[in-house]
Amino acid sequence: MAFEGVQMFPSTSVSLGNEARATPLDDLENVVAMYQPRVFRFLLATLRDHDAAETLTQETFLRAWSARASFREDCSLATWLIRIALNLARDHTRTGRFRFWKRVSASAVDVAEVSAFVPTREGSAEAHLIAKQQVAGIWETVAGLSARQRSIFLLRFMEEMEIPEIATVTGLPLGTVKSHLYRALAIIRAQHDFSPHDTTTHSATTKENQ
Amino acid sequence: MTPQRTTEQLAAQAGTTACAPLGETHLTGEQFGELMGGTTETASAELAQAEAHLLVCEQCAIELASLREAISLFREASNAYADEELRSRPRWILPARRSHSQSLVPAYWVAAAAMFLTALLPLQVMRWHTLAPPAASVSSVAVSNAASDTQSDEALLEDVNSEISRSVPASMQALADPTADASTVNNETSVPTTDQRKD
Repeated sequence: MAFEGVQMFPSTSVSLGNEARATPLDDLENVVAMYQPRVFRFLLATLRDHDAAETLTQETFLRAWSARASFREDCSLATWLIRIALNLARDHTRTGRFRFWKRVSASAVDVAEVSAFVPTREGSAEAHLIAKQQVAGIWETVAGLSARQRSIFLLRFMEEMEIPEIATVTGLPLGTVKSHLYRALAIIRAQHDFSPHDTTTHSATTKENQ
Repeated sequence: MTPQRTTEQLAAQAGTTACAPLGETHLTGEQFGELMGGTTETASAELAQAEAHLLVCEQCAIELASLREAISLFREASNAYADEELRSRPRWILPARRSHSQSLVPAYWVAAAAMFLTALLPLQVMRWHTLAPPAASVSSVAVSNAASDTQSDEALLEDVNSEISRSVPASMQALADPTADASTVNNETSVPTTDQRKD
């Protein structure tokens, strides 16, 4: 779904009452330039669909702009935008229509495409290949997490948010956030072998810890 | 104190048993989570125990490092992929920026001032035309023009008065006195009289 040539946002001259106060979102162009990549990344990793991610990214900024008067700056603008994006993604994935199109969508993200972007670091070609396989494996495992675990995992390890910030975004208590995060990590550890390869006893032990 | 003993002491402090080839105890999932940065209390007792365990357990240390590295690669690859995908998509079209506080309110004032001036200008021009005194160079010409106009008006009025005061207009003078000398009339008009026609 392309949006070229479509004016998505109403003119800011409309509906500005006398009581309107200046907000960071008044300068929409800068806000989009600054936060669009971040919101898009999060939605793409959450939804695994290019078109849906772009549509909801636009929707995120439209909602944010429409509700800019309610932004009290008690959290950062990035946190506020990610919270809107997360709610939109949650609503989107709840619909049966999303599940149907998820199965047949041609714009779904291919794991191989993502793993092709694994940075090349010092090491052998074999090590790079292993790293690509590892990233592809994590990408697929994250897709299999519950919606809440996936969101929290992505917010923590992709967006690099701190736990209190994640609690603000998700509206969950700190303990619940940590609990979901630990479970997500445990699942990833269980499905991938990060232990030293020369030890055989360790894997079994870590499995017991799950 | 031997190195082995130190290891045992650290393990005891960490709340785990020393790493032995068999039957060893390792970090729990929660401890891994704490070490992966999922804690808000950096000085929590659990975190301290986990860190102490890492000093004595190479397997857990390696596993934690591998997990961190894998997740770091996952983040970098996902971000690079998303950024590349975003670059390949058409840019959004946004409306021009109009800041309420900086440009919109002054625009109101500019518009109001322009309307005020537009309404005021014709009034002022009219006032100038009615009240402005003539310039010195123009005044003498205007006075002479006014004087000549007055003279011509007076002459015209005199002509009219004299015309009105006459009992018979000049063109009707011949009819005014039918008994006047006919020859005079005939000479003047060369119109034949009745007697002449008879002849």
